[in-house]
Amino acid sequence: MSRRVLIHVGTPKTGTSHLQDVLFRNRERLRDQGVLYPADRFDAHFLAALDLMQLPWGGLENEAVGAWDALATRVRSHFDAHSEGTAIISHEILATASRGQVQRALATLGHPDTEIHVVLSIRDLVRQIPAEWQENVKHRRELPYARFLAQVRDPARDSAIGSWFWGVQEVPDILDRWAGDLPPERVHIVTVPRPGGPRDLLWQRFSRTFGLDDLALDVEAERPNPSLGVPETTMVRRVNIKANKIVPPSAYRPLVRELLAHQTLSRRVESPRLTLPPEDHVWVAPLQQKWTDLVRERGYAVIGDLDDLVGAPPPEQYADPDSPDEAQVADAAVDAITALLVENARLVHIERDLRGQLDGAHRDLERAYLRPTYRWREKTVRRLQHSRAGRFALRLYRAGRGRSSRSA
Amino acid sequence: MTDPAAWGWTAHLREGGTTPWGQWSGTAEPQGPFLPGAQQLELLRRVNLTGRPTPVLAEAVLATDPPRRTRPALPLAGVLVVADHGPRPVDPSDLGDNDLARLAAVLLAQHLATRPLAEPRVGWRRPWRIRYHLLGDPEHAAPLRRHLIARGRPPGGYGGQVLVIGTDTGRMLVDLWTAHSFRHGAQPWAGWLAMCVRRGALPTPLDLHLVARREIDRPAPNRVHVVTDPALAPRLLGLRGGPGLPQPMAASAVDLARRVGAALRPVVPPERRTRLLSDVLRPRLADEPGLPLVIPSRHRDWVQDEADRLHRQLERHRYPVHGDPALVRPVDRAGVEAPDVSVTLALAIRLLLETELQHREEGP
Repeated sequence: MSRRVLIHVGTPKTGTSHLQDVLFRNRERLRDQGVLYPADRFDAHFLAALDLMQLPWGGLENEAVGAWDALATRVRSHFDAHSEGTAIISHEILATASRGQVQRALATLGHPDTEIHVVLSIRDLVRQIPAEWQENVKHRRELPYARFLAQVRDPARDSAIGSWFWGVQEVPDILDRWAGDLPPERVHIVTVPRPGGPRDLLWQRFSRTFGLDDLALDVEAERPNPSLGVPETTMVRRVNIKANKIVPPSAYRPLVRELLAHQTLSRRVESPRLTLPPEDHVWVAPLQQKWTDLVRERGYAVIGDLDDLVGAPPPEQYADPDSPDEAQVADAAVDAITALLVENARLVHIERDLRGQLDGAHRDLERAYLRPTYRWREKTVRRLQHSRAGRFALRLYRAGRGRSSRSA
Repeated sequence: MTDPAAWGWTAHLREGGTTPWGQWSGTAEPQGPFLPGAQQLELLRRVNLTGRPTPVLAEAVLATDPPRRTRPALPLAGVLVVADHGPRPVDPSDLGDNDLARLAAVLLAQHLATRPLAEPRVGWRRPWRIRYHLLGDPEHAAPLRRHLIARGRPPGGYGGQVLVIGTDTGRMLVDLWTAHSFRHGAQPWAGWLAMCVRRGALPTPLDLHLVARREIDRPAPNRVHVVTDPALAPRLLGLRGGPGLPQPMAASAVDLARRVGAALRPVVPPERRTRLLSDVLRPRLADEPGLPLVIPSRHRDWVQDEADRLHRQLERHRYPVHGDPALVRPVDRAGVEAPDVSVTLALAIRLLLETELQHREEGP
């Protein structure tokens, strides 16, 4: 076995959160079995990707400065300590790295002396396009579905939406940037199974790609990134329109994205699912076919079936999130309010507990102050603070004593 | 990409050439694994038009990616082999100044990140110093605070007084955006101001009444003074003179600072970023000629309403107000409603060439 780095570069919405969760939770076991997943925190590779691409991300970039070099150093140190082995790096936003950034990434990982394998997991555009809009909504965006689609369709791609969408989803371009210098057998394409397939089929494909089949791992999902239905997504978008001005990102993430979207609204599985509008199938189908042909022609190692990339036909009844069934949106809103009430009740309980602890600490502090001269000194200080001369005298006293913050 | 004409143009630009892509006809062998993007090539051409960059700067321009939240490096239109995927090719001369200014800001940020920081001047602490806190308009508060720190009077401490410094509301809005730009890189002026208007209230630091009320309502309140005439602030703090009243900076200078600030965010930690912007970039931009920003006409009514509200609140309340409360009302002054991106780009290119001069002077 040689020194191998498997670098999984995307695409978003292809089960990457589950994969990264399993790898992170099992990193000790993996290391014992000769596989390095270099991460001290769940989002370590996300931060490294932000650093590599110099990408601001709502303040998280502050924690990312130097993260890529730190990650690459760990990989190289691992290989210095072990003459052979495998290291895995995974984050889906790496898909958008430029050619220069890819060159830098591979060089810092030891390319060409180290055997680099690029892994790209892909899913049909019929599912990816609505999933990307939903992801945008869960990241505070306010734009309606129709406007999102128009920006994706715009060939100029000069909007933030269009530029980002194609950067992380255009499979041939991602492969040009990441796999241009690699032999095709070191480029692994994992296809996401069609809807309705066995639940663990995608994991089996990832497991085979990363050489994890024979390793003992806990593969239960703890950080799923579940999808929302049409009324639920619309409701979150309406919340964004109202709340973005007043709720800071640090509160939005736990309350809206985690509590409402992931933990509450994603459980409403009976509502209509978000799909591609029927008229967009006309341009998506041939584009998808072109991409599939290109992957097939280039002879990459495909794990799964390229036929998985043929999108489902348009639904008989299209549920438009820009003109939703208002009763369903109201139902989703009731669930959301209930979840927020439950969370509020939990926080009120915690607040009460903390208040009790604080009162106890105050009482202890007061007892400590009950020395005979304390009340007299306190009264004197208060009286002195009311006059200019008194304040000056106090300042002189404190300067002479040394520390102004010491209790009298 | 092995297009000989594109590589020929790249070589021409590396040598200081200024011929636009549309008029180019020479060829050359490939000089790297991939062609730089249209933005990098056109920016280098503009730099060549302005001065003579060293090979180091030319290579840096060609190797630096545009910020990834915007369009990626774009392929050249008219090359022989065009992929049928990826971003659409462009003629570099069709690129907007905005695209080039963004890239120039990334280059400046990369240069700035390597600059050493001098320790700020801090005088020895006088035990008899007046304790103070400065709030309100950050462009008026910050120089005064620095002046006091240099004289051994850092802010804070037990007791003391709180000065909430303000001026006319239009200027305060420009000042706050300027301060944001030099702290962490703000969003564009038009978008930032529109957001304030949508929110329906002045940003908290500029709502002098609200700031004063908050200070008064603290459990251990300090003495609060609102100052509507910033010239009075030094005397209230026991200074005979002061640092002088700050003049608003040229719109393009602040626009460049906010772009460089944004590009610095993923490069250096926040504290160092703020100091690089305020201690290194700001002094260079401070005297840049040009008109400052003023409130665009479409928002003037809103600013007038907010100023009137603030004026009424300052007249009614019980904290001392130094200066006429009416001074918070907007003043007509010369300025531009938005930065001119072409001026920002020209300034950025001049700065890039200046940093080159420093490299030459500092070199072996």
